[in-house]
Amino acid sequence: MSSGKCAAIAGVVLMLVGISVCAENVRKDLRFKVGKRPMISINNPYGPVVVRAGAAHEVLITAILHSDKVELDQSKSHNRVDIISHLLPGADPVSGTVEYEISVPPDANLTLHSDNGRMHAERLNGDLTLAGNDGPIEVLDCAGGHVHVRTLNGAVSLKNVHGHVEIMSVGGDVLMNGVTGTLVAVNSNSGRIEYEGDFGGEGEYAFSSHTGNIEAVAPAYASIDVLARSTNGIVQSDFSLDPKHAPFLVRGANSLSGTLGKAASSVKLFSFSGKIRLKKRQN
Amino acid sequence: MNCLQFENALSDYLEGTRTSEQQAHLNSCSTCSTLLADLNLISAEALSLRESDGPSARVWSLIEAQLRQEGLIHQPSRPLLPEFFRRWRTAWLVPVAAALLIAAGIKLYQPTKIGDNQPIAKERIPSIPASPAVSPEDKDIITTVASRPPAQAAAYRNDLAQANAFIRDAQEAVKNDPNDFYSQQLLINAYEQKQMVYRLAVDQDNDQQ
Amino acid sequence: MTDAKRPQRSKLSEAEAIERAKQGDAEAFELLYDLHKRRVYSLCLRMTGNTASAEDLTQEAFLQLFRKISTFRGESAFSTWLHRMAVNVVLMQLRKKNLPVVPIDETTEGEEEGTIRKELGAPDERLAGSIDRLHLQRAVDELPPGYRTIFVLHDVEGYEHNEIATMIGCSIGNSKSQLHKARIKLRDLLRASRAEKAGKR
Repeated sequence: MSSGKCAAIAGVVLMLVGISVCAENVRKDLRFKVGKRPMISINNPYGPVVVRAGAAHEVLITAILHSDKVELDQSKSHNRVDIISHLLPGADPVSGTVEYEISVPPDANLTLHSDNGRMHAERLNGDLTLAGNDGPIEVLDCAGGHVHVRTLNGAVSLKNVHGHVEIMSVGGDVLMNGVTGTLVAVNSNSGRIEYEGDFGGEGEYAFSSHTGNIEAVAPAYASIDVLARSTNGIVQSDFSLDPKHAPFLVRGANSLSGTLGKAASSVKLFSFSGKIRLKKRQN
Repeated sequence: MNCLQFENALSDYLEGTRTSEQQAHLNSCSTCSTLLADLNLISAEALSLRESDGPSARVWSLIEAQLRQEGLIHQPSRPLLPEFFRRWRTAWLVPVAAALLIAAGIKLYQPTKIGDNQPIAKERIPSIPASPAVSPEDKDIITTVASRPPAQAAAYRNDLAQANAFIRDAQEAVKNDPNDFYSQQLLINAYEQKQMVYRLAVDQDNDQQ
Repeated sequence: MTDAKRPQRSKLSEAEAIERAKQGDAEAFELLYDLHKRRVYSLCLRMTGNTASAEDLTQEAFLQLFRKISTFRGESAFSTWLHRMAVNVVLMQLRKKNLPVVPIDETTEGEEEGTIRKELGAPDERLAGSIDRLHLQRAVDELPPGYRTIFVLHDVEGYEHNEIATMIGCSIGNSKSQLHKARIKLRDLLRASRAEKAGKR
């Protein structure tokens, strides 16, 4: 057999294999009519879930199932939509993968859960709860609702988010850019916490870690009342803060406290052994 | 005393600081005595505003829904769940209970003054149970995740170890200075992290059942 | 059952409900909510003057409470703890909307003198007998937000001036003087309302 014929046969075999692999992917499209402030819950152990704001009163779901080892359970009750990627016997993180692209009303309240998949929520103003193991979690351009994020080791990224924010992470880094609200609380273990913004909204900002470093970059015009302390790490500040009486004793720890401007927002940066840095934004 | 002087001092009068001059003026001035009577009446009637009709039923529905979303309301256990899951329901309370014990212990102490160099009377410190490397409830959860892919199980054990290390460090800090708000807050955060680690393990296990 | 017994029984129920709520019992949460919803809602309504906002803030206060219930150590009464949380929720909301929480001194020297001058010419008719809950409620709703906050916290909810000063970030003296001005303003509103009613007859 000539080499050309061998190559052609190999190509056909590869194509057939490819087709059979792709043929296992099944696409499902779902549409639900909902009222104001619907409750949408997606539980997808393996695979990404991307949710964006779309038309009012309508939830559109496109799901790509990677094998027949996973099926989609859906239920709608009153104003609540529940979608679960139901793993069948023999499913693993590859065969059990489902990819979701979802469009929901902007005022929807959302709960997402994925073990290893990326979770993304964008342009929503309802309450958001996102929980996962190690997939990255992104929240973008959301305002007005409560945002709760829980992750073991997934990287968390919030950009342009305004409202009430609570994030808990063990090892995942938490990056916040343009995040303000009445409460912005981050509880991390070894994950890094990075904040860039003006600590606006006359809110309470509380960042705490076990060993993860905490870095906050704020503009010179920030109006904050700062309390920062690390038991075994160092605390540095680019700002000259106006001194104030610290409410707790300082014993053998590195700490600083003081105010900037009118001290409209409260900023608490606590770590056991992480380094804490309060930096001035360079314009 | 004239009426203007009386009204300027009326705020203090209502707070209980009264002079004979003010009393004499009240006895002779019906305008000021009317004013005083009206302000007292307004203050007394204000209590009637303390409780009104309640909010609509919608408020509770929203609260309940949010609590369920956040996992703060536990669903009734399914009969197929193994026994150790049912024990785990309250087992997570152990670290929270320990935190409460510590907080209760903290309240037994007199606050020391800033700059006081006297050592803390350590013999007074109630014994704080140290969080062991692998506690009984940790063993159950580790058994649960052992059936997962090795990389996942190892990651999970590592997360649990990190949470326990945080608790140990925070407990030590509280033990050294029970009145320190900052250390207390770190301890609460540490327990909340461990609670989250447990919850995510159970959620994942429920997904796969 | 006598009224004397009833409070004791509900106290027991509340303590049990708190313990069960810490374990995630749905019924316990609902019981705690039912026990305290009127008081919290009333506080929110008095301070915002708006039923929709009051409902949202009631929801927020209870959610915060239930999220933190595992940290409740019983050192203060549960109702006190909840109430303080509700006040903070409302104050945060007022700050968010840039509404004055610390009352702005709205009177001038001239206006204070004017009050007395007006009084000298007015009939000595007391408010007693012409003030009821509904009228007072309406008058409170018409108060400027800063005055309303102080009046509700002190006269309606019973907080002391030192507590109010801490909560809203003003001095004790400021709290006292603004409360006095709030009461004066309420009196003016109630008298105006009475005069309007009399004029319509």
